[in-house]
Amino acid sequence: MRSRIWIFSLVLAFAVISVTYAQRGRRSFDDEDGPIINPPDANEKTEFTFARLRYPSGRSGGGYWGIRGSWSTDYPKADRQFVQGLRRLSRVHVRSVEEVVDLDTDEIFNHPWIYAVEVGHWDLNEKQAAKLREYLLKGGFLMVDDFHGSIEWELFTASLSRVFPDRPVIDLQNKEPVFHVLYDLDERFQIPGIVMFYSGQTWEQDGVEGKWRGVFDDQGRLMVGICHNMDIGDAWEHADMPRYPEHYASLAYRIGINYIMYAMTH
Amino acid sequence: MFEFLFSYPARVYEKGQFVLLAGWPAWALGLLGLALAAALAWPYIKSRRDSEVRVKGWQAGVLWGLQAAMALLLLSLLWQPALLVATLKPQQNVVAVIVDDSKSMAIADESGSQTRAAAAKEILNAGLLDELKKQFQVRLYKVGRSLERLEKVDDLQATQTATRLSDSLRGVAAESASVPVGAIVLLSDGGDNAGGIDLSTISEVRARRIPVHTVGLGREKYDRDLEIVSVDVPARALADSRITAQVTLRQTGYSKSKITLTLRDGSKILGQQQMVLKADGEPQTESILFNAGPAGPKALQIGVAPLDNEENRANNQVTRLVNVEATKPRILYIEGEPKWEYKFLRRALEDDKTVSITSMLRTTQNKIYRQGIADPKELESGFPDKAEDLFQYHGLIIGGVEIGYFTVAQQEMIRQFVDRRGGGLLFLGGRNALSDGGWGRSGLLDLVPVTITDRRDTFKRDRAKVELAVGGRDSLITRLVENPDANVERWKKLPELENYQETGAAKPGAVVLAESIIGGKRWPLLATQNYGRGRSAILASAGTWRWQMLQPLEDKSHEVFWAQLCRWLVTASPPRVLSSTPRQVLTDETKVQIRAEVRDKTYLPVSDAKVEARILLPDGSAEMIEMRPEPMAAGQYTATWDAEKPGAYVAEIVAKRGDEELGSDLFNFRREDGVAENFGSEQNRELLEKLSSQTGGVYYPRADAARLAKEVSYSEAGITVREAKDLWNLPIIFLVILLLRASEWMLRRKWGVV
Repeated sequence: MRSRIWIFSLVLAFAVISVTYAQRGRRSFDDEDGPIINPPDANEKTEFTFARLRYPSGRSGGGYWGIRGSWSTDYPKADRQFVQGLRRLSRVHVRSVEEVVDLDTDEIFNHPWIYAVEVGHWDLNEKQAAKLREYLLKGGFLMVDDFHGSIEWELFTASLSRVFPDRPVIDLQNKEPVFHVLYDLDERFQIPGIVMFYSGQTWEQDGVEGKWRGVFDDQGRLMVGICHNMDIGDAWEHADMPRYPEHYASLAYRIGINYIMYAMTH
Repeated sequence: MFEFLFSYPARVYEKGQFVLLAGWPAWALGLLGLALAAALAWPYIKSRRDSEVRVKGWQAGVLWGLQAAMALLLLSLLWQPALLVATLKPQQNVVAVIVDDSKSMAIADESGSQTRAAAAKEILNAGLLDELKKQFQVRLYKVGRSLERLEKVDDLQATQTATRLSDSLRGVAAESASVPVGAIVLLSDGGDNAGGIDLSTISEVRARRIPVHTVGLGREKYDRDLEIVSVDVPARALADSRITAQVTLRQTGYSKSKITLTLRDGSKILGQQQMVLKADGEPQTESILFNAGPAGPKALQIGVAPLDNEENRANNQVTRLVNVEATKPRILYIEGEPKWEYKFLRRALEDDKTVSITSMLRTTQNKIYRQGIADPKELESGFPDKAEDLFQYHGLIIGGVEIGYFTVAQQEMIRQFVDRRGGGLLFLGGRNALSDGGWGRSGLLDLVPVTITDRRDTFKRDRAKVELAVGGRDSLITRLVENPDANVERWKKLPELENYQETGAAKPGAVVLAESIIGGKRWPLLATQNYGRGRSAILASAGTWRWQMLQPLEDKSHEVFWAQLCRWLVTASPPRVLSSTPRQVLTDETKVQIRAEVRDKTYLPVSDAKVEARILLPDGSAEMIEMRPEPMAAGQYTATWDAEKPGAYVAEIVAKRGDEELGSDLFNFRREDGVAENFGSEQNRELLEKLSSQTGGVYYPRADAARLAKEVSYSEAGITVREAKDLWNLPIIFLVILLLRASEWMLRRKWGVV
């Protein structure tokens, strides 16, 4: 009798957990600011979805799940807070929640714009690099952010060179369409993360100056937008924090929107 | 036999008028006939009353009938029946004998491998000419490029490169104004290559009552031959665009054989098509798809290599001209919101050499992002609000834009863009497009090739499979691979569309090329229609971009599809000055007709323009011709010019109004000699028979040509006399009398009636 009660209790518990999990639709996460609740329109079918790239990180022994310096930094609050701005400030039909994609399936091809963070620690194998190369050459766009200094740059370019062994990384000039597609962004400056609250400086490691760089295709279209020595994701995430300066958050939003507009027009 | 029994040729009975020469009234004949019949009936009636009746009623009736028929026949002969027929007065009329002297007459397909020309000479020299000369003055002509007098039959050479029967008949008819032409005798294979015999020529000959007797020469059907009957290729094409040549051929003796149709530009093969030949004599049409290549005039040779034992090898290939234009037509694409389809559509056309795309995208409520603009001012104020600004584009794509975004004037301008300007319009799907954008209640609804409702929930962000519809099987827009069957399968393998839009069925006149399939239900995906001078299409989706992202990098089906759709959109969009000629290749002809259509910036016809054609000749010299406005067609100008030498010509048409240049256009044409006679070289009996029957003449096969001399005098043209031909002494009448008497005698013996 007691064993039956145990079995019944286990089945009931499994059913309750399953139903609860299924009703959640998309996963909610506890991020640095506490639990994130999915909005009611999380499952809306839209034109654009903020796609975050889940990549294997050197710090996590080649796996996906690192604690810090991984693909999930600022996730998902930065993504969701940013798309609210994108909704308000443009005519892009955008989903309220993000989508996580990786380079081990073809799902990435359904999202022609992807965002990767902390790429100073990514570690793509040849197969993943080939898939990213195919994705970009077909018309996909990658925005990378939140990596700092020369060491992380080296780590970043180590994987990038597996993606494009023969394409140079180029410093973007003000005349580039990506800085004018919606907002004219001639006056750009380094966007710091919240680390400045503790360090009192806008840079991390030896990345004193914000760098706007990119990789182009044969037709001169930007495929990879590289925001080095900056933490735009933090600016999106903490835009609602009174301590975080408005001018950084404002530029971060405008940069993000311009990159998306560029990806949707070029 | 006919003449033995009836004493005169059948033609006398056809032309003659029946008369009674005795001068007694015809009613008297009828009355007397009735009386005689009654008198003959009396003995039978009387004998029926007697008790000794030996003949049955019906037998009596038959015997009476035979007696009455003979009596009536004899009685009618007393009234002297005759035929009144007009005949040419001997030695006072001219008979024109026209002999075909064209190259096709040198074909040796008469009996004993005799050439047609030799057969004509034989017919004439073997008595026909002498017989005619006994009765008439005979004028001998030869016809080729023109009509010429011929001194003697042996001067025929069968070398002329064209046959102009119509012109020669007109020439002889015109001579009848000064000399009494009683009849025309034409010896020909009927191979006219100047467009046949027109109605006005027939009318002119008929008006002068001149019968045209024809003698057909040459075989009516080859045993083994293949001939290219026609080739249709667009006169203009965009550089590097794919176009189709429709080739129609006919053959005898090669049924079920496999052949290869080849299309060449000089020595370069541009396209080939394998085909299996159908039944003998059955016309067969095939298409060859080819790339137009770089800009410039092209002289394409289309044909089939000579087949084994083919009797005429010179009719297997034809030349067609295509002017591959260097212009890059422009398409304006307006999109209501950022979407992936916009990006990938632009990318698909970015490297395209044939069309350029200018786009305006509503990125925010108040901002428009412009791409592909020619200067910074272009589209600065948004969608054009002047016709001349919109009409500078050749095509228009309307993406997810609600109808309310356009003013009423702009909506009307969009209609005129298609209807009057002749542009191409493409509607794309989207959450603010078509029904969901309020187009279902707009005045532009008839521009959409399919029916749409006024529901607002027709755009679905669900993936949909795609398949070609029947109409898309052979369409150039949907051709991703050359083979039509393989193309159908290729479409089935395309990645699913990211979304689709529900629409109704295709409107009358519209063609559905592709369908989207969701849960077994099919919706029109791509449909096209012609509208006014232009054309419109719908692509009820904004999700073809997955064809680019979800297929291998080297796959070009997405780019190919969009390039072909956009080329279709703009290829036929006319410039403001549009010139043309009905026949770009003049085969053994000299007259070229030049046409031009002139319109202003808003594409309204201009009838007060000065339009000139500058023709560049093969030797490098040039001639100017002033074109005349057509009185009944606004904006149309025409001219006719003689291309005196064979070779390639270029005509440049320039239209001006005062100092303002309205525009210019050019086309190529080519005169080729010695080609036309190789085609249609079998005897065209149908044409000869028609010519004879419509002018009151007779068609004679070669074997019956000797009869012609006797029959030619029955004509109402020239100087004629009315001749009465007696009918009482016809052998057939004596034969009938004999038959009637013999029948009566036989029956009486059989039935025992004395």
